[in-house]
Amino acid sequence: MMKFDVVVIGGGLAGMTAATELQRSGLRCAVVAAGLSLHDAPRRDFKAAGGTLLAGDIVVSGQIEGGRLVSVRTEKLGEVLLEADWFVLATGKYFSQGIVADMDKVYEPVFGLDVEYDEDRSGWFDPSFAAPQRFLEFGVKTIDGCALKDGSPISNLLPAGEVLAGLSSAQGDATAAIRQSALDAVAIIRRK
Amino acid sequence: MQETNISAKNFEQCQKCSICETVCPVMANNPAYGGPKRSGPDGERYRLKNGIFFDDSLKYCLNCKRCEVACPSGVRIADLIQQARIDYGRKAPKLRDMMLASTDQMGPVAGAFAPLVNFSLGLSPVKGLMDLTLGIDKHRTLPKYSSETFVHWFKKNAAAKQDAFRKHISYFHGCYANFNYPQLGKDFVAVLNAFGYGVHLIDERCCGVAKIANGMIPAATRDARTNIAEFEKAVSQGRDIVTVSTTCTMTLLEEYPELLKVDNSKVKDHISLVEQFLYKAIASGEVKPVWKEGYKARAAYHCPCHQERLGLGIFTTELLKMIPGMELTELESNCCGIAGTYGFKKENYKYSQMIGKPLFDDIAAQAPEFVACECETCKWQIEMSTGVPVKNPVSILAEALDLEATAAANR
Repeated sequence: MMKFDVVVIGGGLAGMTAATELQRSGLRCAVVAAGLSLHDAPRRDFKAAGGTLLAGDIVVSGQIEGGRLVSVRTEKLGEVLLEADWFVLATGKYFSQGIVADMDKVYEPVFGLDVEYDEDRSGWFDPSFAAPQRFLEFGVKTIDGCALKDGSPISNLLPAGEVLAGLSSAQGDATAAIRQSALDAVAIIRRK
Repeated sequence: MQETNISAKNFEQCQKCSICETVCPVMANNPAYGGPKRSGPDGERYRLKNGIFFDDSLKYCLNCKRCEVACPSGVRIADLIQQARIDYGRKAPKLRDMMLASTDQMGPVAGAFAPLVNFSLGLSPVKGLMDLTLGIDKHRTLPKYSSETFVHWFKKNAAAKQDAFRKHISYFHGCYANFNYPQLGKDFVAVLNAFGYGVHLIDERCCGVAKIANGMIPAATRDARTNIAEFEKAVSQGRDIVTVSTTCTMTLLEEYPELLKVDNSKVKDHISLVEQFLYKAIASGEVKPVWKEGYKARAAYHCPCHQERLGLGIFTTELLKMIPGMELTELESNCCGIAGTYGFKKENYKYSQMIGKPLFDDIAAQAPEFVACECETCKWQIEMSTGVPVKNPVSILAEALDLEATAAANR
């Protein structure tokens, strides 16, 4: 078991924004991030603030007890679980597999969180390439910033960035909204 | 030919995003190298059609595996490249490559004449001659050999005491601790003994990483089979295998099944790097460290490429942060450029130093007392290129622990 104040899952814009803010405010923070998202400048800022980066590792499962996420297991650390008071889920959408679509459903693969999507597959996409695409709106549901599983909130698991329903950078610039969603998660953690 | 949609080493998962190319240290410096995407998954499509598409520039890959750490889709890019070199490389290894790769055969010979060998390998006419005849770059400081191997020391001084401990582990020391730097092995024994573990040797062979890199696959496979059989024996005695070298460990865990097709599944979960082993033991309360009073050090941690690939660097940093009086910073993650035997070769030396430059600059800027690093070849490269000493975390622990008090607390 390895204990942190906050574990951030995903090292893209949302994940690194939240992690660096939290680390700078004095919380001990770890980021679990597989490659693509790890741009040099955010990584340097986070490490300069004293943050712990698990590069190239991924979270494979989590232990949820009494409406709280207690710890997560990563591929590389194996039986040494990462424990934290707070978890920020910033795994992105389809490309980074924060959200996965198969022929009949759209799901969140790590925790099995509740995902907002249309039951009727025919409305998922518009065959016209340039038209707005409905599937890009799909993502995890939240209540007061917390993720939901089977309709109940997980009180310390805060999704941020494109994993969220309604947020996508593939249609127009969503940079400000993604950053804001990370800062919203930071605000919730700071308030408690 | 491909028969299912499950591709070897995940190569069909490649989405052509090219992130691997942005992290490849060779591509950034050597224009002769096509880069990980072209040499790996892209080239593989052609090679599967016909082996004539094999491209000799794959030898420039230093197998740092940074492309694999960066890949968002889990493609084993560096493995694809190494596998292609094994399957399609047509050239027999040169004498130089065989000499560099056979660490376990060169070691005993060089060790027997260590003072003479060390002296002559330091002379510039000898280095010039080796440059001309063998293609070992004359600018490179060659590793020193020790006149007494670690194994010899262990049998004479330590072996008899080991059965008295309650808990036991098997130690895979690697060629470096044995032939070049026995002090590392001695530190390992001192630390593990202090924590109450009896240390036992196995009849180990070279892990084979240098042989794999230099195309000596049958020899590497033979060694791998012997090692796995030895590990299985140790595990059946209830002993985990603890290692000190990052690259040996990666080879045992990843390259054996992926490249040499030697099954390690029965022992895989029983092999751990010493930092990982000790972190777990301390964090779980299984053992208790007693630190020396007044120990002070300012160190910068360099995470070796293969440590990064294994994802285990966090155990080293968390372990070192436990030491009171240790001021630890982390160096920006960069390849040092040596990559085992790669940087010794004349054709690679220039690029090896270019690749390492950002790391050397970072070390100069942080100006630590020493660099903490698990890898022996990084140590050679950093010490030669920056003059800053490099210490293995085990040796740091041996200095920072009150060994006697720790032994008393863990009896």
